[in-house]
Order: sequence, then structure tokens, then C-alpha cells
Amino acid sequence: MPEKESSVPPPGADTPSERYYRELLGKNFLRLALTYLAPLILLTVYFTLQYRAVSREGRRLHLRSVAEHQANMMDLFLSERVVNLANLIDDPKLPLPPTSGLMEALLNRLQKNSPSFVDVGFFDSTGIQRAYAGPLPYLENRNYSHEAWFISLRSGEENFIITDVYLGLRQQPHFTLAVRRIIGGQYFVLRATLDPKSITDYLHSLGESRNTAFSIVNRSGTLQLATPEIGTPMQASPLVPPVSPRIGDQRVRRGHQKVDYAYAWMRTAGWGVVVRDIEGENGVPLLGNLFGVMAFSLAPILVVLSIIVFRSKKLVQMQIERETAKAQFEHAAKLASVGELSAGIAHEINNPLAIISEEVGLIRDLMNPEFKMHTTFDDLIPHLDNIREAVYRCRDITRKLLSFVRKDAIHLKPHDVNQLLDDVVDGLLIREMAVSNIQIVKNYSCELPSIVTDANQLTQVLLNILNNAADAIEPPGAITIATSCASGWLSVAIADTGKGITQEMMGRIFLPFYTTKEVGKGTGLGLSVSYGIVKSLGGDILVESIPGKGSVFTVRLPVS
Amino acid sequence: MSEAIKLLIVDDEIKYLESIAKRLEIRGLEVTKATNGQEAVALARSRKFDLALLDLKMPGMNGRQVLEILKKEHKFIEVIILTGHGSLESAVECTKLGAFGYLPKPYELEQLLDILKDAYQARLRNKFEADREKTDRILQLATGSSALGILRELRRLDDEEK
Repeated sequence: MPEKESSVPPPGADTPSERYYRELLGKNFLRLALTYLAPLILLTVYFTLQYRAVSREGRRLHLRSVAEHQANMMDLFLSERVVNLANLIDDPKLPLPPTSGLMEALLNRLQKNSPSFVDVGFFDSTGIQRAYAGPLPYLENRNYSHEAWFISLRSGEENFIITDVYLGLRQQPHFTLAVRRIIGGQYFVLRATLDPKSITDYLHSLGESRNTAFSIVNRSGTLQLATPEIGTPMQASPLVPPVSPRIGDQRVRRGHQKVDYAYAWMRTAGWGVVVRDIEGENGVPLLGNLFGVMAFSLAPILVVLSIIVFRSKKLVQMQIERETAKAQFEHAAKLASVGELSAGIAHEINNPLAIISEEVGLIRDLMNPEFKMHTTFDDLIPHLDNIREAVYRCRDITRKLLSFVRKDAIHLKPHDVNQLLDDVVDGLLIREMAVSNIQIVKNYSCELPSIVTDANQLTQVLLNILNNAADAIEPPGAITIATSCASGWLSVAIADTGKGITQEMMGRIFLPFYTTKEVGKGTGLGLSVSYGIVKSLGGDILVESIPGKGSVFTVRLPVS
Repeated sequence: MSEAIKLLIVDDEIKYLESIAKRLEIRGLEVTKATNGQEAVALARSRKFDLALLDLKMPGMNGRQVLEILKKEHKFIEVIILTGHGSLESAVECTKLGAFGYLPKPYELEQLLDILKDAYQARLRNKFEADREKTDRILQLATGSSALGILRELRRLDDEEK
């Protein structure tokens, strides 16, 4: 017993149509995504980068302006302190040297001007501190003649000096402001020390420095003042700005991070203000904004994505509907080409029916006693045989028609094209052609390879072209069918002696619904559908025509 | 019984031709068979037929052409078109060309006999009509020119009878 063919696919396996559907969906989705999503994503990336660049530039300019402002403020501050000090020594009522009690009063005056003043001292030309007021009274009468600031002030061009921050005798970070004067021929110096921390607080209190960390470095890169995030005075600065230009900004790599900072060199002292962002090394707020931008552009992307998913599903549906419609259309065209045949078919069937009818009538007559025919059984046999033969003629015609019209699935099998042609010509057309006085000449090549094709579809094409050929002929005429094979192509050339195709008709013959037949006789679908079928079989239809002489339609099909 | 009705049947379907001929012969008609147009035209030239049954679609000369020749060469013949090709246009076309009627295959014998009867009636009516016209002309000729002139005219009238 032969094994029964399983028609149910194993569980989990896709039916071909499901797979096809999914492939189609995937293709459509990709195409739509590429068309709509890719530019959107590119735009998003572009705008994000642009935003980052713009915001970094903004931040950079901001830092620069903060640095410059801070430097100016520091200059102003230090100038004021120098003026405070100078005012004291320039007071003509100041006794020289001042007494310790007077020094306390002077310190009070200074501290009223700025709380950053720590102490004040008065020096003569030998460098001895003659008078002192402040938290460290033991400094009185100390010799400062070897201190760097004293030597610099004495040899310098300026009448004042502002030192870097140093530890000095008191072993605490501080810096010195000193003013020199020559009064009554004698060299005097009034000097005050300032607490760097109070300056830091002062700068902080200016408010400009919010979200920024700033520090002041000297030219050799030692921190003079700094917010706690950066370090403490006297440490080496992590950022050392270049000396020139006076104001600038830089991006430096520190470990894994890049740091943007701006700097400005002060005019009064050899110090530079360095400003950078406090939060993170590269600005957390920037990143936050970046996420905002991304989220903002992600929303339309998601919207577009959902539209694309929806659209591609819809497209697949449409495509499948269109394919179904196309299949129905082809079938309709097939029916139509049969319809065009139907006049001939009616003749084909009505003739044997007439024979049957006449034979039956004749048998009745022969058996009718009225006519006294004396009929024997043997007399009837030829008539009965005629009936039988006529019945089979009808059956053959209907069978061929049905096999052609049946809406079969496409079956690709090797076929002998000569045989297919004979089926069409001898099966459906030859009698019709004979009674229409159209001679059919077969000019088959006997070395024709068989080709893999769908017999039903190819038959439809051949029948259609043969119908058209017959239609073009004003009887008497001839249709010559020639088959040949050359360089991988199999050709069926159908030549008629009909009225031919004019140049202007030639461009339209393959268009759907174009017909030269009378209204109701032709649908105008035959050639357009034939063309579609031959194309789908990988072939082509070529047409040559001489108006008034005839046309040749050549169907070319690939052999492999 | 006098002479039988002479009927010409033209059809390329030989078996059909045989059986219809036989059935009509049984019923007393004198049937002549032709299997194509040329044969039919040749037969009609050698003999006289009262009526003709003509298949429309035949190889070689088709029914229409045979109809035209028959109607041209024989004044009183009536032609009935038989065909399996049942469309109204060809019927109208053939009656315009002078066919008496049209019978689509297959048909009942009664229908055929009916139309044959009508056709024969028409033939006779046409013939008698023509005879009456001739009688009128004979009467007109009798009162006119010289005896010899009348004699010649009468002879010509007689010749027209074919």
C-alpha cells in the first residue's frame, strides 16, 4: 500500500504562505524604516552633536568671562588693599616709627576696610620690624632683610609688592602686601599680611562663581587660593595655564576625562585665575540636557516607528490582495479567451449534437411501422455507432476546455512544447480553422529540448496568440507555427497572413483592455495577460508585423 | 403522384448529411447531397432545385458564398441556412443576402419540415406572382404593334421562364 501523503504540516512548521507573509512584512518594514527612520535618526544625531558643540562653546565662553571677571575683581581687591596700606603710611600725622599702640589702631583701620588683613608691621631700611600689631607679637624686632619680598621691594621699580602665598616664619599660608616710602630721606616699609582663605570666601560671595570651581595659581603653577574641591594653597595646581595669552581657555585630558577650563592672568600680582565647572569634569548638566534632546527626538522616532509597523502590515495586506486580484484577473482573462473561442466551440459541439439528433430521428423512422422499412438490428448498428462517436466528440471538446479553464495551481514540469502546441491546435482549433478556411502549417523542429514550465499557462498564451492570428485573417489564409531552439532559448513563432498591425497600434497591443475587435467580442486582456505570463516564466514575446501582409508573434522561453 | 420536391443539402459533416437526407427521402422528398460549396454550385448548374439547405461554415467555399451564387443563378430557389454557429448576426446577414430562413443545429425534424413548407410556399408565391406579371404583359402586347413584332416579344417572355 502506498504511503499516504501528509497534508497537515508538522507542528511548529510554517505554511509557505505564512513564511511568505513574514518575509514580505520584513522587507516592507526594512524599506519603510530605511526611508523614514534613517533620515530622522541622522537628523537626531546631527542635532545632538550640534547641540553639544553649541552648549560647550557657550560653556567655554561663560567660563572665560567668569575667569576674566574674577581676575578683574582680584585686581580691584588687591589694588584697594595696597591703597589701604599706602593711605596709612602717607598720613603725615603718622609718627615714625609708630608706637605699638598706634599699630593696633592702624590694624583696626585696615581690618575695617577688609577683614582679610591679619597683621601689620613697620620696617626701617635695615629690614628690622620696628613695630607690629597682630596675632604674632613675637615677630616684632625680627630681621626681614633676607626675606625675598623685602629684597624684591627694595630693588623693584614699583613702590609696592604683592607676594605669592608662602608659609614664612609663622608656618601658615599667607601672603604679604608691602609699600615702601622714603620719608625725610629715610627708607620705610609698611607691610601687612593677608589670609588667603578670606579672599576665597570673598570671591565665593561674589556669586559669579556658582557651579564653578576656581583657583589662583602663580606663574610656577603653585596654588595660591583655591576652593576646597581643587586643593589647598601651596599645593601644585592640577591645571597650569599658559602665560600667554592673558585670557584663554583650554581643554586638557586628566586621566579618562577631558576638562574644560578658562583662565585670566591678573595685572596687580603674578597670579592667574583658573575657572572650571564644578559638577563632574565635563559638565553633568550638559549630559542632562543631552538626554533631554535625545528624549525629545526619540519621541517622534517612536511615533514614526509605530506608523511604519502599521504601514508595513497594511502594505503586506495590500500586496497580498493585489496578488490575489492578479491571479483572479489572469483567470478571468483565461475565461475571456475561452469566451472568444465560444462561437467556434458552439459550432464544434452543435455539429455532433445535430448528428445525434438526426440519427435518433432516423432510427425512429426506420422502426416506424408507418414507413414499412422492415429494418433489422444490423441496419441500426452504423447509426448507433455514429451516435456513440458523436457523443465522444462532444466529450473530448468539453474535457479539453475544462482542463484549460480549470484554476490550477502552477505546476512546473518538463514539457514538450511541440506536444503542447498539438494539444491546442488539434484539440481545440483545427476544425474551427478548417471551416474558417484557415490552413495551419506546422513547422516544428524535431530537436526541441523539453522545458520546465507550467503547461496550463503556456497553453493559455499559445491559444491566445493563435486566436488572435485567426481573427486577423480574412479567409482564406494560413497560420504557420514554427518551433526552434538556439543559444539557450526556445522559440515558438506564430505567423499569420492577416491584416497586420499598424505602427500606432504596435505600442498598445500589450496594454490591458486594448482591443481591435468589435464591442463584446474581445476583452483586450489576452495579450496583456499572455505577456505577464511569459515574463513570469522568464521569457519574452516579440512581435513583427507588416500591415496588410501579416504578423509574427514569437514566444521565447529559456531552456534551462 | 406527381414530381417530388427537389431539395439540395450542403454540409461538410457527412454523417449528418446521410441521415438527414435519408429521413427526408423517407418522407418523399427528392434529396441531392453535396459535401462542399463547389460541388453544390456545380450540381445546381446541371439540375434544377426547388429548395436548398445550406451549412454556413464549411471548408473551401463557405455557405454565404454558395448562397449568393444560388440566388443569382436561380430565380425561384429558396435557401435555408443550417449551422451550429448560433448567433443572431449571421442569421440577419444571411436573410439580407436572400436566404429564406435560418435554423440552428440541432433542431427537431418538425421545425425543419415547417420551414421547408414555408419556403416552398414563398417560392410558389413568387413564381405565380411572376407568372401573373407575364400574363399582364402578354395582354398588353396583344394590342399594339405588328404581328411579327408581338411574336418576337412573346418569344422573349417565354425565354425568361427558367
